[in-house]
Amino acid sequence: MPTDVIMPALEMAQETGKVLKWLKAPGHAVRKGEPIVEIETDKVTVEIEAPASGVLRDVTARAGDVVPVGKTIALIFAPGEAGAAGPAAPVGPAAGGVPTGAVASPPPAAPAVKASPAGDGTAARLTAASPKARRLAAERGLDVSALRGSGPGGAVLAGDVVAAKVPVAEGVGTVWRIMAERMTASWTTAPHFYLVREVNVSRLVSWRERASKHTGARITYTDLLVKLVAATLSQHPGVNASWQDGAIVRNADINIGLAVAIDDGLVVPVLHRADTLRLVDIAARREDVVSRAQAGKLRAADIQGGGFTISNLGMYGVDAFTAIVNPPQAAILAVGRIADRVVAVNGQPVVQPTMMLTLSCDHRALDGARGAQFLGALAELIEEPLALLV
Amino acid sequence: MSTPEVAARELTYGEAVREAIAEEMRRDPRVFLIGEDVAEAGHPFKVLTGLVQEFGTKRIIDTPISEPGYAGIGVGAAMTGMRPIVDVMFGDFITLAMDQIVNQAAKVHYMSGGKLKVPIVFRTTLGATRRSAAQHSQSLHAWVSHIPGLKVALPSGPYEAKGLMKTAIRDDSPVVIFEDKMMYRTKGPVPAEDYTIPFGVAEVKRAGTDITIVATSSMVGVALGAAKLLEEIGIGAEVIDPRTTYPLDKQAMIDSAKKTSRALVVDEGYERYGVTAEIASAIAEGAFYHLDAPVKRIGAMDVPVPFSPVLEDLTVPSERTVFETAKALCRKA
Repeated sequence: MPTDVIMPALEMAQETGKVLKWLKAPGHAVRKGEPIVEIETDKVTVEIEAPASGVLRDVTARAGDVVPVGKTIALIFAPGEAGAAGPAAPVGPAAGGVPTGAVASPPPAAPAVKASPAGDGTAARLTAASPKARRLAAERGLDVSALRGSGPGGAVLAGDVVAAKVPVAEGVGTVWRIMAERMTASWTTAPHFYLVREVNVSRLVSWRERASKHTGARITYTDLLVKLVAATLSQHPGVNASWQDGAIVRNADINIGLAVAIDDGLVVPVLHRADTLRLVDIAARREDVVSRAQAGKLRAADIQGGGFTISNLGMYGVDAFTAIVNPPQAAILAVGRIADRVVAVNGQPVVQPTMMLTLSCDHRALDGARGAQFLGALAELIEEPLALLV
Repeated sequence: MSTPEVAARELTYGEAVREAIAEEMRRDPRVFLIGEDVAEAGHPFKVLTGLVQEFGTKRIIDTPISEPGYAGIGVGAAMTGMRPIVDVMFGDFITLAMDQIVNQAAKVHYMSGGKLKVPIVFRTTLGATRRSAAQHSQSLHAWVSHIPGLKVALPSGPYEAKGLMKTAIRDDSPVVIFEDKMMYRTKGPVPAEDYTIPFGVAEVKRAGTDITIVATSSMVGVALGAAKLLEEIGIGAEVIDPRTTYPLDKQAMIDSAKKTSRALVVDEGYERYGVTAEIASAIAEGAFYHLDAPVKRIGAMDVPVPFSPVLEDLTVPSERTVFETAKALCRKA
């Protein structure tokens, strides 16, 4: 029996996957574990490995096809297995053998083509245009019938296509497109609300300095925030949740995603079970996934399973911002820059380093009070990290 | 392959033909020439002057007015190991030798299962405007270009006249070579040394970006003249000489038309069912998605060539008609 190559489910809610590119052609030998096809889901592009060694055959999904999860897209025949050698079952009479011209049985007449009513593509044909103009228009995504023709009888010529003003469409990559789709889905389905809080980060600043000196590692504010957010989530599991099919589903683990800007757009690698990691481990993991994200070398596992996201734009000088919830998560924390700000302390103006935190919440999974309790607990931890020990 | 940059000497078209024949006759004793007025008379256009003195009447053979007869002698001689050049004084007269050319020379190699070869050259003329009237002015090269088994060469200048004639004589297939009778006194650089021009290889005579003009024989000169006029109004014409209508270098013309996106084919044969039609269709098919205008062609007017000089001149493509047609194709007012 040949082994099925199936469209895998890489995420819980995934229903279909798109075949991007076959890395092996039908008839080629493949080794188990060797990448044979590139699949794109609504989150990520991954290479799928051969489930067995043998010969790849009966490829039914072509590049570009969107296929339901679980469907067989190809077969792998073990060496020696019927079908492993020779071509796949020939379609129609075998070529060769019958000399050209010798008509043993007349080829079946081509099925009569039904006269197609005007409409399907006929409209475009009514526009006079040179072959070159049509080709150039197609390449540029222009409709020749919409162009003003300078040729005989108003025919559209190549020059008319070249001169046509086209909105400059910048082609976007997969990552950008996925970001656009997911943000649209979140914005249009998740009712957002926002909680803003300014926190004193004097202790956080000194803690980071000491932690860096003590460990010799490069510890960032993001690393500290991951640690503190993880600790806060363990006290407020309602925030580590998602709205799914009319129910609030709490996540089993504390997996914190980091929004990372890369050349192609935005990706969110995940630090899994962040609550169990030491600060140095968080820093090391963070450095690893961020650098791989920027190199475009994230694996499926790197971006799966996130339960809460931190987006930090402090390094860009942003004081505060509101983020869009990363679906299906319940909340995302938007972090602004640390700056010396004047605050009132005991009725007196005092200058302190502070940071603006904005928690965006999906109101289906969270309400204002629960969100505020989480943000309050987080702010207290940031202002006095020592509480981690208690 | 291409015209040498510096040629030490110039020959007329007629002298180039004579030199090619003389050199090949010296090189290969199997080569001989047969036809009307070819020996003492040296041919009506004086192309063969002096050959009979060097090679004698056994290799430069005068015949009566008898095209079918001496063409048959040529085919038979070729089948039995000689390499004859059969001289048909006017291209119009190939009609008389048509059975020998089309049904014998072109077929024998195939019908003998490859056992026999017919290494024969029919040299003849084309071209109007010599005031020779309807029976001595036609360009009938389309007739033989139509026939499988024949190769057809159309030298466009002295350099081509020598190089193509030598290739024709050395070719083991029957070749019909048409010389434009109006070009015999045209001068051009011709290397003194031995060279040949391969069949089926077109030459780009002039590079250009806006329109491809494919021209044959003396029409190459007409096209080059038109190209100069076009340049003055900002149109860059690329002029291509296929040099042989069979084998035909379709790819060179298609590639050029893909580059320029317009093509005009000029040939002095009748336009109707002519050489221009074959070339234009090859371009239309091969360069279709790159064409920005219909492929146009200009041949001789579809009339018996008039004796009236004024009318005769109107029947053939001229620099002016090529210029005007190209200009219109390029949408220049």
